[in-house]
Amino acid sequence: MKRWGIMFSCLLLVLVIAVTGCAGTDSSGSAGNADPANQESVAFKAQMTFNGSSTLAPVMSAIATDFIEEYGTWDKVDPSFPEQNIAIYVSAGGSGAGVKAALEGTSDFGMLAREIKDEEKEKLGEMVDFRIGIDALTISVNPDNPLSKVTDDLTTEEVKKIFAGEYKYWDEVDSSLPHREIVVVIRDLGGGAHEVFQKAVMGDTQVRADAIQSPSMGALVAKVIENKDAIGYASFGMVNQNEGKLVPMKVDGVEPTTENIVSGDYKISRPLIVVKKGELSPEQKAFMDVVTSDVGAQIIEKMGFVPVR
Amino acid sequence: MYKVLDVAFSKLIKLLTIFSLLLLAFVVVFIFRESVVFFKEVSVLSFISGRSWNPLLAADNLGIFNIILGTLYVSLVAIILALPIGVGMALLLAGYVEGRVRAIIRGIIDILAGIPSVVYGFIGLLVLVKWFETRLDLSSGESVLAGGILLAVMVLPYVISTCHESMEKAYRRHAPSSQALGVSRSYLLREIVLPESRRAIIAATVLALGRAMGETMAVMMVIGNAPIPPTLLGKCQTIPSLIALEMGMAEVGSLHYHSLFASGLVLMAVLLAINLVFYFVRRSAFMK
Repeated sequence: MKRWGIMFSCLLLVLVIAVTGCAGTDSSGSAGNADPANQESVAFKAQMTFNGSSTLAPVMSAIATDFIEEYGTWDKVDPSFPEQNIAIYVSAGGSGAGVKAALEGTSDFGMLAREIKDEEKEKLGEMVDFRIGIDALTISVNPDNPLSKVTDDLTTEEVKKIFAGEYKYWDEVDSSLPHREIVVVIRDLGGGAHEVFQKAVMGDTQVRADAIQSPSMGALVAKVIENKDAIGYASFGMVNQNEGKLVPMKVDGVEPTTENIVSGDYKISRPLIVVKKGELSPEQKAFMDVVTSDVGAQIIEKMGFVPVR
Repeated sequence: MYKVLDVAFSKLIKLLTIFSLLLLAFVVVFIFRESVVFFKEVSVLSFISGRSWNPLLAADNLGIFNIILGTLYVSLVAIILALPIGVGMALLLAGYVEGRVRAIIRGIIDILAGIPSVVYGFIGLLVLVKWFETRLDLSSGESVLAGGILLAVMVLPYVISTCHESMEKAYRRHAPSSQALGVSRSYLLREIVLPESRRAIIAATVLALGRAMGETMAVMMVIGNAPIPPTLLGKCQTIPSLIALEMGMAEVGSLHYHSLFASGLVLMAVLLAINLVFYFVRRSAFMK
């Protein structure tokens, strides 16, 4: 009896495996069959996904929300599209993750807040990229910091010395300032924002090892707003959103304004790029047309960045 | 027929167990494979003993000695703060309060365990770090101590609930005889319940240590994330916060990317070692 039980259960197991195995091939088979029939709906994707830079994500998300609210279904965008609900998903994970997602196809578009590296271009092969705006990094201090009363201008050399730790106390920057330690706030060393700062200001010099590395631009700005000895590279957008709570300094006499950033006179800046591996489908093009239109530019500006037209 | 069902059921359960074991094996193998790429370029020893971490420079600047120290330091501070409070709280729950009051206190502790770690981190950043800056006159409040205090609050529920159960049992077992002997309640708790629960206290310590060392978000917000040698009031960096901070930006397939997996492997190894040590300690403590 016992032996029968074992044999039966073994048989059952084999059966289970066989059935699930069959199910596997069956489903792939049916997908294969359905392919030609569903050609149109396969080619048309009502869903669109964006992944990447945490700077760009809120912007894309705002434009997407606007787009969905205006049209609702795809056939309202263009009569030739089927009547399906528009779905656009935006998630943030950093510029590197954006390229990775576009590369591996886990999302349709990658968002970057830096230039696309050459090796990344190579890996992507055929691709489409949109330069939708510029984000500038401002050297910002707390309004209670006496430095902002003494001067509104720092030279690149001074900024470099502050971030490298050569100036440890504020009175070394200007003798009229109090003898308090400078608190340097940066983003993570491998990140896009830091890369821009490193290139534009630091060159080969390294940032001091005990600088606070903030997990997000929001946290960096919060730190500068909270701590009156802090200095950090807050993004232009963030400074505009928190006007009065932190003071952006001129660098080499150039004020971080929209004009100076677009003209390239203000040099600590980074481009905001949306990239897609392969070619755009018609519905993706329809959406990107809106992003690069005046409507998109207005939203980008409203979020505190500088649109490129 | 029932026998057949019985056997089939037991086989099914075995199958599911094997599946979950395979999942664990998959995670370990995946992390291991990703780190091997890194260890081909940099030796394990120089990775673990290296004093500087800078992903922008050459490979020999990827050393996580300070970061391992930071991880251990923050977790130890948390345990030192949480253990006395947690054990005391469990004793209180076992011996001094009963019925509704106990249910309410336990409910509050459970809620404490359910608060998302980002919320803790946010409170830590705005209250704890700020307090350090204004009251202790530190230039920046991000510190090992801030992380330790925050983690202590977070692991407290685990310590309490692990200790509470065995303490309550011990108390129930000995309460009638101690009452008959006219021994005071605090004597019973101190001299009998506490020593009898040492196994649970050790288990709570391991659980809390594991939780503390793995905690990412809350810690990342209050320690400053600077890979320098940790001091109590200075900034530091822990392995989970390092991975969370840099993984999003690391270029896929680069040495930096693989080094983050390698540091994950180191964290797992450290946790395993701690668990093993406690396992033997627990066994010997229980044997005598």
